[in-house]
Amino acid sequence: MRLKLRIWRQAGPTAPGRLEDYAADDISPDMSFLEMLDVVNEGLVRQGKDAIAFDSDCREGICGMCSLVVNGVPHGPDRGTTVCQLHMRRYKDGDTITIEPWRARAFPVVKDLIVDRSAFDRIIAAGGYVSVNAGGAPDGNAIPISKAIYEQAMDSAACIGCGACVAACKNASAHLFMGAKISQLARLPQGQVERASRVAAMVHQADAEGFGSCSNEGECEAVCPKEIPISNIARITRELVKAVWRGGE
Amino acid sequence: MLTCAFERRNSKLRGTVSSPRLRLLGSSVATKLLIGITGLALVLYLIVHVVGNLLIFLGPDFFNRYAYTLEGNPLLPIVEIGLLLVFLIHILRTIRNFVLNQRARPVRYVEKRRAGWPSRKSFPSSTMIVSGLWLVAFLLVHVKAFRYGAEYPWPAGGRDLYRLELETFRSPLVVAFYAISMVVIGAHLWHGIASGFQSLGADTPAWRRFILPAGKIVAVAIAGAFIVIAIWAHLQGAA
Ligand code: FES
Repeated sequence: MRLKLRIWRQAGPTAPGRLEDYAADDISPDMSFLEMLDVVNEGLVRQGKDAIAFDSDCREGICGMCSLVVNGVPHGPDRGTTVCQLHMRRYKDGDTITIEPWRARAFPVVKDLIVDRSAFDRIIAAGGYVSVNAGGAPDGNAIPISKAIYEQAMDSAACIGCGACVAACKNASAHLFMGAKISQLARLPQGQVERASRVAAMVHQADAEGFGSCSNEGECEAVCPKEIPISNIARITRELVKAVWRGGE
Repeated sequence: MLTCAFERRNSKLRGTVSSPRLRLLGSSVATKLLIGITGLALVLYLIVHVVGNLLIFLGPDFFNRYAYTLEGNPLLPIVEIGLLLVFLIHILRTIRNFVLNQRARPVRYVEKRRAGWPSRKSFPSSTMIVSGLWLVAFLLVHVKAFRYGAEYPWPAGGRDLYRLELETFRSPLVVAFYAISMVVIGAHLWHGIASGFQSLGADTPAWRRFILPAGKIVAVAIAGAFIVIAIWAHLQGAA
């Protein structure tokens, strides 16, 4: 199949960017979206031109590296799917596809379609972990956790940190990302000790990074490749009220 | 040297006066919470307001007596000041929040589309700031027209608000302005009611199934009732 691509090209963080047109010929419907871009890039390199820079790693939907806004929707049209798992059979011969990077003040463009998502790492480093001194390793069955609770914790833990939630949100808010980690650890006994200080540190860090607030539209949930619901965001509020109420520190 | 001492004092102040947890009250999450609480308080007020206004269908005697009883209540000034505060917090905090949110995406998408279900994004949800600002303007006109409107005396005591209402809505322009403003209120609440509860932290699957449609029904009911009253008053006044 043949496609018309409009791709965001930007030489560097401060350089101005713009959409450029490319033709993608000889594309097989069985290719993944990123393989299609590989083919385009091979053509560019053969012509001695600069290849289109984009992020990817596992290409099987688990690492969260791929990050493309396809025709205005982060990760493209399929629900619960990363863009590396999007396939060209989703498109028709002759289609025009627009590809842009995640756009947020906290995710500056590095080059073309690659953005710097280390703001997410700093939010996790601020409090998204358990670091209590628990002595020697306890027996695996010594801390019983009910199935309902660990299923909920695992659903939140499914976040791969891709940042599609930020990309989709009209406020470029990181609340779903933050809420997933806060919810996961708040559900488990291991997370209790640092429960209040965690929410404080993560919320402050997200605000300091320049992410926006949440308007409860739920675009984030709709584009999340792991389909993490915004009930995780509602939990931030509950955790925050508890943290302020208990005070201390 | 001076600035150094100043900075030291400043950082000391910050360190002792506010713990990180208390500083949370200024965070994006607390902003949401505050906008949600004040918004829902205003919805509650609107419900009382619309039910009170529906009493106009019971005739001038009943309606004016109701208004007179309300105005005679010694708590009224306190309620009014409280209401003004709630309005101010809701409006000012939202505007600040809107500005910060705009800054969070300095470069816009060339092409952006809605993600579709289960997103709740709608035309009303994406124009909350516009509908909100419209309502601020509407409120100024509205409060001037009724709270500070003509003082027709009513023989049994108080003001003849029945007459004031009929006279105000005699002009089709006023009716149109009110009807449009009520559609705007309906749009604001279409997203606002469910969003307010979400901001409070209420979200379970069962609650979601209830509040999403319920919020919309209440929004349409409030807007619809006010529009019906305005049109009825127009027809009544014209007769
Ligand atoms: S490349 Fe790993 S999730 Fe897409």
